[in-house]
Amino acid sequence: MDCIRLEYDVDGENFASAGNASESVKRTLKQMGVSPASVRRVAIAMYEGEINMVIHAHGGKAVAEVYPDRIEIRLQDTGPGIADIDLAMKAGYSTATENIRSLGFGAGMGLPNMKKYSDEMKIESTVGVGTTVFLRIDF
Amino acid sequence: MNVRGLAERAGYTVFCEGEDREIESGYCGDFLSNIISRAPDACAWLTVMNNVNVAAVATLIDCACIILCEGVEPDEALKNRAQMQSIWLLGAKENVFEESKRVAAVCGV
Repeated sequence: MDCIRLEYDVDGENFASAGNASESVKRTLKQMGVSPASVRRVAIAMYEGEINMVIHAHGGKAVAEVYPDRIEIRLQDTGPGIADIDLAMKAGYSTATENIRSLGFGAGMGLPNMKKYSDEMKIESTVGVGTTVFLRIDF
Repeated sequence: MNVRGLAERAGYTVFCEGEDREIESGYCGDFLSNIISRAPDACAWLTVMNNVNVAAVATLIDCACIILCEGVEPDEALKNRAQMQSIWLLGAKENVFEESKRVAAVCGV
């Protein structure tokens, strides 16, 4: 099936541009007439993923494929990887530094929010190699 | 009550202007993950957080305005991004609790 493919380079440790990819996807979905509730879910899930890449992984690549009934998002980085995915998924668990917390992040809600607002979420991660997060959100 | 009306009635500093929308509710907080998942659309978002990510989150949640409380002034990066994205960025003197009461009274929310 035809889809609209959107690709973004997420700049690591650059908070000035963090959120640009999510905003662009949000704008596109709005223009396509996707319901505000679905747009919001996509924006939350994708922003959390984008911020994770900025905070933990020196950036990475975000690819969004928009189908008439859903969006599929792949967030790929070559960061440190996640040693214990179950632990990372726990609400409130965070490895963010004090500096990151002072910016308003590090509540340990990033991955739980991504799971909560998506219909499917898969994490593949290898320590020292990187992490890929796949998200599917149905409209 | 629209944002411009609130700014005038409450005597808030206007750091940046955006679309003059109606304020339908409010939300207070500084942890961005909470804001993004819980703040309602068209809310006045009251915070003491002052950095560029505040503007990014405000855009994603479609809030009516950001109100920086306790005399917090936006840094250059936040101001620039708010201007770029046409987001209302207001400044208030008192703490979040007192300013929430004011917003509730003025806007009837």
